[in-house]
Amino acid sequence: MSSYLVGVDIGGTFTDCVVIDESGAVTTAKAPSTPGNFAQGMIDAIESAAAKLGLEPARLYEQVSLLSHGTTVGTNAVVQKRGARIGLVTTKGHNDVIHIMRGSRGIGGRDVRQVVHFPESQKPDPIVPKRLIEGVSERVDCFGKVVVPLNEVEAEAAIRRLLDKGVEAIAICFLWSFLHPAHEHRLRDMVKRLAPDMFVTCSADLVPKWGEYERTTATAINAYIGPLTSGYLSQLDRRLAALGYRQPLQITQCGGGTISVDKAMEAPLLTLDSGPVSGVTGSLYLGRVMGYPNIITTDMGGTSFDVGIIHEGKPAYSFVSNVNQYEYFIPKVDIQAIGSGGGSLVRIDETTRTMRVGPDSAGAVPGPVCYGKGGTVATVTDADVVLGYISPDNFAGGRIRLDKEKAEQAVKDIADRLGMSLMDCASGIAKIAEFQMADIIRKMTVGKGFDPRDFVLFAFGGAGPAHAGIFARELGVAKVVIPQRETASTWCAFGAASADILHIHERVDIMASPFEAERINRNLERLEEAARRHMAKDGIAPERQRFHFSVDMRHKGQINEVEVALEGSRAEGGFQEPLREAFYRRYEQLYGRGSSFRGGRLEIVTFRIRATAETPRPRLVAAERLTDEISDAARRPGRPIYWADLRRQVETPVYDGTALLPGNRVAGPTVVETPDTTVVVPPGQTLTVDRFGNFELALAEGRPQ
Amino acid sequence: MNKLSELTHTVFDGVNHPYVPPKELRISPKLRLHRDAGDDFDPVTFEVIRHHLWNVNEEHGATIQRLSGSPVAMYALDLNPSILTEDAEFVFFGPYMQYMSGVTDTQVKWILENRSDNPGITDGDMFLANDPWVGAAHQQDVMLICPVFHDGELFCWVTNCLHQYDIGGITPGSFCPGAQSAFDEGILIPPVKIIEDNEIRRDIEEIYLRSSRKPELVALDFRAQMAGNIAARERIAQLIRRYGARTVKGVMKRILANGEKAFLQKLSRLPDGTWRDRTYVECCRPGDRGTYRVAITLTKRGDRLLFENEGTAAQQGAMNATYSGWRGAIMVALNQLLCWDQYFSVGGALRHVDFDPTAGTLNCASFPASVSTAPVQAMEISLYPAYNVLSKMIYGDPAMRRDVMCIGGTSQWPATIFRGIDQWGERYGYLLVDPIGGAIGAFSTQDGISTGGQSRTPICKLPNIEHTEQSFPLLFLYRKEVPDSGGAGKFRGGLSAESCFIPHNTDRIVQDTLSSGNAIPTSTGMMGGYPGTPNRYRFVTGSDILERLARREMVEDASEVAGQEVTLQLRQENFVQAPADVYAVVWTAAGGFGDPMDRAPQHVLDDWLNGAVTLAAAHDIYGVVIDEAKAVLDAPATQRLREATRRDRVKDIAVKPRKLKGGNAVRITEALLLRLDGRTPHHCCAKCDSDLGPAADNYKDHCLRQDNPIQASSPLVGDPRRYIDAEPVFRQFFCPGCGTLIENEIAVTTDPVLRDIEVLADDRLFESRPEAAD
Repeated sequence: MSSYLVGVDIGGTFTDCVVIDESGAVTTAKAPSTPGNFAQGMIDAIESAAAKLGLEPARLYEQVSLLSHGTTVGTNAVVQKRGARIGLVTTKGHNDVIHIMRGSRGIGGRDVRQVVHFPESQKPDPIVPKRLIEGVSERVDCFGKVVVPLNEVEAEAAIRRLLDKGVEAIAICFLWSFLHPAHEHRLRDMVKRLAPDMFVTCSADLVPKWGEYERTTATAINAYIGPLTSGYLSQLDRRLAALGYRQPLQITQCGGGTISVDKAMEAPLLTLDSGPVSGVTGSLYLGRVMGYPNIITTDMGGTSFDVGIIHEGKPAYSFVSNVNQYEYFIPKVDIQAIGSGGGSLVRIDETTRTMRVGPDSAGAVPGPVCYGKGGTVATVTDADVVLGYISPDNFAGGRIRLDKEKAEQAVKDIADRLGMSLMDCASGIAKIAEFQMADIIRKMTVGKGFDPRDFVLFAFGGAGPAHAGIFARELGVAKVVIPQRETASTWCAFGAASADILHIHERVDIMASPFEAERINRNLERLEEAARRHMAKDGIAPERQRFHFSVDMRHKGQINEVEVALEGSRAEGGFQEPLREAFYRRYEQLYGRGSSFRGGRLEIVTFRIRATAETPRPRLVAAERLTDEISDAARRPGRPIYWADLRRQVETPVYDGTALLPGNRVAGPTVVETPDTTVVVPPGQTLTVDRFGNFELALAEGRPQ
Repeated sequence: MNKLSELTHTVFDGVNHPYVPPKELRISPKLRLHRDAGDDFDPVTFEVIRHHLWNVNEEHGATIQRLSGSPVAMYALDLNPSILTEDAEFVFFGPYMQYMSGVTDTQVKWILENRSDNPGITDGDMFLANDPWVGAAHQQDVMLICPVFHDGELFCWVTNCLHQYDIGGITPGSFCPGAQSAFDEGILIPPVKIIEDNEIRRDIEEIYLRSSRKPELVALDFRAQMAGNIAARERIAQLIRRYGARTVKGVMKRILANGEKAFLQKLSRLPDGTWRDRTYVECCRPGDRGTYRVAITLTKRGDRLLFENEGTAAQQGAMNATYSGWRGAIMVALNQLLCWDQYFSVGGALRHVDFDPTAGTLNCASFPASVSTAPVQAMEISLYPAYNVLSKMIYGDPAMRRDVMCIGGTSQWPATIFRGIDQWGERYGYLLVDPIGGAIGAFSTQDGISTGGQSRTPICKLPNIEHTEQSFPLLFLYRKEVPDSGGAGKFRGGLSAESCFIPHNTDRIVQDTLSSGNAIPTSTGMMGGYPGTPNRYRFVTGSDILERLARREMVEDASEVAGQEVTLQLRQENFVQAPADVYAVVWTAAGGFGDPMDRAPQHVLDDWLNGAVTLAAAHDIYGVVIDEAKAVLDAPATQRLREATRRDRVKDIAVKPRKLKGGNAVRITEALLLRLDGRTPHHCCAKCDSDLGPAADNYKDHCLRQDNPIQASSPLVGDPRRYIDAEPVFRQFFCPGCGTLIENEIAVTTDPVLRDIEVLADDRLFESRPEAAD
C-alpha cells in the first residue's frame, strides 16, 4: 500500500489539491470553491485528484499519511464582516482601547495617499461595538505585580450582561496580562461556568505580548472568527474521518507550518493569511532541495502582488500584522503586498495626462475587460492580451475565454487619450506594474540590508510568470524559477503539503544589559516546557521535536526590536559578548553599517521558541535523463507578440510547457504556456526545464543595482 | 507694524527678522546647478520614475524611524523627509509630521544664498540647522540637509527633519514654557557644514551635542538622520545611472509642473473672494491671564492665493513662532485639501501662493522672541484656522466640496511635562504624548473621525499604556473617548479622549503644564457646526483612590474619587503630584459641520448608543428626542422639538424678510446662497430664500444674532474665568425667516463680528457656476 501527502488550498474561485506519492510524483487537481460550505469544494478537489490517480476516493483517503489544509474561512469572515457577535472584557477604564486604535486609522497595507486624504480614511466598522465591551476592576503593573485583585462580583455581572445581550464569543484582554495571566484565566473559568459552550479567548494564551492595543485586537479578532472557523473545522474533521481519513488533520498557519485541528479551532487567528504563507513554505522546501538558500518569493494574482523573503534558508518574519485596518500581534512569515495584480485598473489623470496602474482592482467581478463580464476599465491582464503575451484561448486552463477585441478597445481608449500607440500603451501598462513590483521587492531587500543579486526569484500565481522576467531583471536577479510547472498555479497547496508542524510560543520579560543568565534561562525553560506539553498533546514523540530559540532585542530607549537567533538552548557562561555581537550584526545588516550604537545598553523584550516536528516530505525525483531535444508535441502555433525591448511586434514561437522535457532549453523571445499560467521569456533570456521539472529563466545579465 | 513680504521683494536677513527668500536666489558662481531637464520621455517612464522617487522618500523616512532613539519623535513620528529640486522646490515630502517639510525649502534656499560661496557646497556635504529665524519651526526640530551632485553639478537635495529630545534651554526637553526669550532656550544653529566629504566634522558635532542633557540620544538621532540622507542620495544616484540625469530631472520638473497644473485647474473652478478666521491663544507666560488674537485672511484672485496674518497679536512671552512656522503650518492644510490627488507634491502649487505676514506678531516673531513651544501653540493656532478658510473657499466647487474638513482635535496641545526618578531608579523627563490621539474634523458629507489622530501628523500612533507604564512611574486609571466632545453638527466632529493617571512606584512626580485653548474652544465648527471640546486639566489632590483600589474598585472618571479639586493654570510650573493625586488630561476634540438640527435623527440615536453623545446633548443641541427605556427614537417628538426651536428663535421678528426668487443661485456655504436680486447680488438663506442682504455686506449683519455664554458652544466648556480675564462669547446667526442656524462664531466680547466670507459676486460667478439651490 502506498502513502500519499495531500495539500489543499481554498482560494476565492478554485480549491486546489496537490497529491504527492511516495516516489515524489505530483498530481494536481482543482474544483470550484463552494462558499457557504467550503468543505464540499475541498472534498471535490480531493476526489478529482483521486480520479486522476485512478483511485476510488475511499482508497485514497485510507492511504493518505498527511492531509494539510489551508483555510480561508476566517479571512473571509473578517473581509465580509460576517464574524460572530462578540463581547470583550477588559480592565475597567480601558474599554476604548480597540476603538481608539492608538489614535491612528490603521495604516498598514493601505496606500499612503489614501491614509493622508482624510475623507478616505475613516476607521473600520468596529468588530465589537462599545456596548459589548465590559470593563472589570483588576490591575497589574509593569512588574507583573497585582495592584488590584480581580473583582469577581463585577466580573460576574459583566459576563451576565454580555450573555444577556446574546454574544456568541467572548474575548478577554487585561492590561499587563502577559506578565500575570491569572485574572484572565479566572474570568475565562467564570464564563465557562455560566456558558459552557461559549468560545472564549484569553489574550495571555493567544499572544502574550507587550502592547495592549495589538494584543486586544488579536484576541478580539480571534473570538470574532472563532465560532465560524471552529465550526467549519470540526465539521470537516468529522467528514474526513467518515470518508476514511485516519491521520490527524493538519491546518496551515501564518507562521509557516501546520498546527493540529484542535489548535486551529482554539486559535483561528493563526489561519489568517496562511494561504500566501504556504507559497513561501513551498518555496522554502523546494529551495532546500535545489540548494537555494536565498529566495525572493513572488505571487501575482488578480488583485495583489505578494512578496516574501527567504534568507539563509529562513523566511523573514513579522510580528505585527493587519487586517481590515486593525493591527494585531502574530508571529507570521512576512508577506508584503501591493495592489498590483492582473486585475489592477489603469487610470488616467486628465489634467496632467499621467497614467497610474492600481492599487484598485477590477477583482474577479467584473474582472478585466477581456473577461467580458462588464469590466470597462483596462487592466494589466488586458494589456497582456493586447501584447500577445496571453492567448485568449489559454487562460486559466481554458476555463475563461478572453475577448481580445474588447481588451484592445479598452487599452486603445487610454492610448488615444495619452497620444500613444496601442502597443506602446499596452507595454507601458505592463512596465508600470512590473516596476512597481520591483520597487516593493527593493523595499523588502535593499531596504532591509539584502542585495537582490544574491537571491533567486520564485514566481508563482497565475499572473506572475508573465512579468517576472522583467521585474527580476530590473532588480539584478540572475535567475527566476517557476516552480514545478503545473503546480505553479497550485503552489500554495503544494506548500501546505510540504509544511512541518510548527508551534511558536513567546514570552515577554523586559531586561536591560548586562543580562542575567539565570533570568534568561528561566524564560527559555518555560517556553520549552510549554512547547513540549503542546507537542505531546499533538502526539508527537520527543525525538521528533526540534526547538529553536530567539530573542527580540533593541537599543535601550529605542522602540524598534530586532529578532536575534540564539545559538543553543540556554545562556551559558560567556554568552553576553556573542549575544551582543549577534545583535549588532543583525542590526547593522538591517539598518546599515555603523548604525548601531555600541556604547549604549541593550534590552531584551521578547523570548521566542519555534518548536517544529518534521512531517513526511514530498520527495522530488530528479529526472534521470536530460535532453535538449524539443519534441514536436511541445511546439504550438506561433503568434505575433509585441516586445518592448525590440519596440516592435515579432512572430514569436510558442511552446506547450507540459510537453517540454527536463533539459529542454528555449531562447527568448518566446512564450511557454501551461494550463494555468503563461511564462513570458523576453529577448535575451533563456528558459530551461530543470531536472525536477521546474522552469528556470536565466537572465542574460543581471542589471547592476 | 511693518509688513514683511515676499511680494515687495524685501530682503530679510534671517538674523533679526525671519529669512524670507527672494524670488531670485543669489547663488555663488562657484556652485554649478544642474539645469538640464529633459521633456522627451513618455508617460510610462514618467510614472516609473515618479513611483520610484516616492518610494525613495518613503524609505528615507522609514530609515530614520527605525534608527531614531527618541521616543517622543517616534511615537509622534515627529520627523519628515523631503526631496527638492536643485533650486529648492518641493518634489515630494513625506507623510509624517507635515509642517516639517513646510519649513524645509526656506532653509535650503538660505543655504544656497549663504553657504554657496563660503564654506561652499560640494559633493559629500551635509548641513545641520535649527535656527527658527532661518527656517526651523523651533529649536528642537533639527534638520540635516544633503545636496545631491551629479558630475560636479548640484542635482537636487534630500533633507530630513527630526525632533530632538533635548538640545538645551532652561527646561528639560527644551520646551520652555517660562522662557523670557530665545536666550533661555535650546542652542541656535544657523546651517553649518557638519559633514564634509562624507565625514562627520567631530568639532562641529561636539558643539552640537554639548548643550544637550541627553547627548547620547541626540548623537544616535544624528546618525539616523545621516543614514536616511545617505540612503536617499544613493538611490537617486542609481536612478540617474539608470535613466540619465536629464530624464530624472525632467521627471522632477514634470512632477512640479503637474502639481501646478492640477492646482490651477482647481483654482479655476473656484470663485474669487476673501475668507477669514479668528482664534485665540491663552496665557503666554506663567501667571499670565491674557488672551491673544490670531487672525488669518485668505484671498483668491484668479490663479493666485494670498495668506495674511494681519490682526494677529504682537509677540509676547513664550508662545511664539517665526515666519517659517506660520508658513509651514498653512502649507499643511493647503497640501492636504488641495494637493492630495498629486501625492502631496505642493511645490507646483506654491508657485501661485503668496505669504504676506506682519512682522513682530506672535506667529511671525522677530529675534529674540521665545519660540520653543511653537509647534504646540503658535503653529497649531496658525494651522487649524487655515483648514477653515481653505475649506470655505473650496466649498464653492461641488466636486471639491467633499474635501472640506473642519478643524481637528488637539488644535492646541495640552502639554503634561513631568520628571523625577523612575521605577528603575533612573532620572527621567517626559512629555505625555497621548494628545496626538487627536480627532479629525467633520467633513461636508460624513462625520469626522474619533481619536483619528492629529491631521498635521497623519500616520502617527500614540503609545500603548503598557509602553508608557514600562518607561515611567505611572499607573493609568483610564484612557477613554469623551462623550459630547466632538463638535455638534449635521456631521459631527470626531471625539477626543482623556488620559488619567496616578504616580506608581515613586513618591512624587514634578509636573509642569503648558496649554492654551482651555477657556476658549480652538476647534471651531463650520457653517453652523459647533466647536469640539476645549482642553482640560483635572487634578484631584489627596484623593481616596488608593483606598478605592484596595477595595477592588477602579474608576472610570476623575469625578468618582473624593479629594480636593485643584484648578491647574495653563503654565503652572513645578507642582508635585503625590501618589494619591489623580491627574487627568482631556484634549481638544474636532469641530462639527452644518446645523446640528439638520443631523439625521437616526445618527443621533446611534451616537447615543455608541456613547458619542449624551441624552441631554441629543435633546438640547440636536433637537432629538430619544426614548431612553426602549432605546428608540421618538420621531414625532423630534420633529416637533426642532420646529418649535426654530420658530421660537424668530418669534420676535415683526417683519419677515422678503424671499428672493428666480435667477441663478450660487451656493457658498451649507446654509447660504448668492442670488441676483435684479442686478444686485444678495445673500439668501439656502432653506427659505430669505434675503440676507447685498453681497457687499456681511451676511451676519442681516441675520438674527444671539450672543450666548461660551459654555453654550459645547456641554464640556467650563467657566473661562478660571484662566483668562477676557470674556468669550458664542455668537449664533440665524435666518430671520425660518430660524435655521446659518453660522456660529466664537469671539471675545470686544472683538467685532467677523466677516468670514466675502465671495466676489461678479457676473462671471453667476454665469459659470449656476448651481440649483437644492
